[in-house]
Amino acid sequence: MDQQIWGDVSIEDGAVRYFTLGNLHLWLKYHNKEVWIAHGYSDNFEKKPKADAPPKNHDWSRWAHKLGSGSLKILPVFPDMPLMVHSEYELKVSPQTHIQIFTRIPVWVRICLSKNNYVLVELPTIKLSRTWFGSPVEGELCYHATTKARRDLARVEQKPYLVSCPISITNKSEGELNFERFCFRVERLSMFEHASDLWADETEILYQGGDSHSEVIMTGKLPKGMSRKNLLTQPRKKIKVSLATRTFKRFFRDLNLLGH
Amino acid sequence: MELLNIYNYFSEETVHQVLRIALIIAITVPGLFLLRGWARSFFTKKYAPHYGMLAGKVIFYSGIIIMIVTVMGQLGISLAPLLAGAGIVGIALGFASQTSVSNIISGLFLIAEQPFKVDDIITVGTTTGFVMSIDVLSVKLRTFDNKFVRIPNETIIKTEVINLTRFPIRRFSAKISVAYKENVEKVRSLLLEVAEKNEYSLSEPEPQVIFEMFGSSSIDLDFRIWAPVDDWLLLKDTIQEEVKSRFNKEGIEIPFPHVSLYAGSESKPIPVQMTQLEPEARSEKEGKA
Repeated sequence: MDQQIWGDVSIEDGAVRYFTLGNLHLWLKYHNKEVWIAHGYSDNFEKKPKADAPPKNHDWSRWAHKLGSGSLKILPVFPDMPLMVHSEYELKVSPQTHIQIFTRIPVWVRICLSKNNYVLVELPTIKLSRTWFGSPVEGELCYHATTKARRDLARVEQKPYLVSCPISITNKSEGELNFERFCFRVERLSMFEHASDLWADETEILYQGGDSHSEVIMTGKLPKGMSRKNLLTQPRKKIKVSLATRTFKRFFRDLNLLGH
Repeated sequence: MELLNIYNYFSEETVHQVLRIALIIAITVPGLFLLRGWARSFFTKKYAPHYGMLAGKVIFYSGIIIMIVTVMGQLGISLAPLLAGAGIVGIALGFASQTSVSNIISGLFLIAEQPFKVDDIITVGTTTGFVMSIDVLSVKLRTFDNKFVRIPNETIIKTEVINLTRFPIRRFSAKISVAYKENVEKVRSLLLEVAEKNEYSLSEPEPQVIFEMFGSSSIDLDFRIWAPVDDWLLLKDTIQEEVKSRFNKEGIEIPFPHVSLYAGSESKPIPVQMTQLEPEARSEKEGKA
């Protein structure tokens, strides 16, 4: 089993490489000028899978490409949709207060060809359930995640499948901000490697209060001691300087009240 | 060579007239096809596919009418007597084609009101299918078993129409019945767990379990789960199977309708008397059989 997953992977003809990360089990093979990929999740295995081949009910997928080599690149990327992040414990931010919290979210694994960066497949390391952000009439599909909304990550156990995201929140309103859940638009963040950990650049949220749109700024700032040289992946979407959007959740009060 | 000279057969004026008409048709028809294609893609991109289809048709048929009028002008046919005749014919046709006119007007209402678009899934009466086109006289549907259904616009205006794909998320309500002996709280938490683990259900809006009623043979619960509209059928297909297998695993009884019979007062058991046939009577009965 290979533990170091990120970076270039070269597979010889007929050889199989096996990786595990989070709940994801990944088999890579190069055979007859084709890349073969199989994957599965811990919940679906009755017993521990073997490193040389996936279990019988997990089929290989094959990619034929003109480059004809077994050189692949494996990169961590953010999920392909925004995340609805729930705080495990309710956190209330007083008016005119600025705080910084850290949230850790499971990464996806991107497998691409080394020579031209052609993406073969992207797989989540932990399968997240989906949730709806908005009203029944309009909104957007998100992944559902929970966070401890920590103020410091110094004593936290390292997990290679989690990326740490610094978020600074400024409550500019006259009312209290109940930080129970928020929509985290991760598609505009970059990912960096620092001391074997994965880090994202900073997101700043300016809360205006009530139903007003909050301003989300992708500051691009990195936590102290980190360098841009350690960039692993670019954002999925181009970074806009700021984004006026709905970030904090309004509940489905109407539905619950009506009971229909 | 004289034989090949066209002016021996037709006058110069006639030949020029035919050439002019041919030129008008040769330029107009391809031009109209191009214009229709452009209008379709422009209005589809800017608004909705059915606006594209409608704009394409309006441009094409208007162009054809203008072309016919122009050709008639070239042939020296005056429009005035035709229009006068059309007025009389129009009155006669008006009486004969009330249904068509009603459909056309209903079509205009449909376009203005926009209860559905091309590619939406709608139910009209007992028919459910994808909207293929919204035309002047009718709406065309393709049902899931691949039948073509034409519904007159007037029918759609008069009937209840359900648009299944108008909103991005939909709720599925499963009617779950459990035996009276079961602990409802336990059943409720099991159902919510099943919803949480289901691949297609949404975490929010949160799944709900509503105590529906005390049924004749069971406690009836309403299990409500939300899914993106595209996954609704997959949710319906998977979640009920998952509930059944979870109930089997946990030993939760899904009851079938049953009736308890009581005789006398205060639930006294029905008296049952065991009878035994005499040996003679038994052999006689067996002989008959």
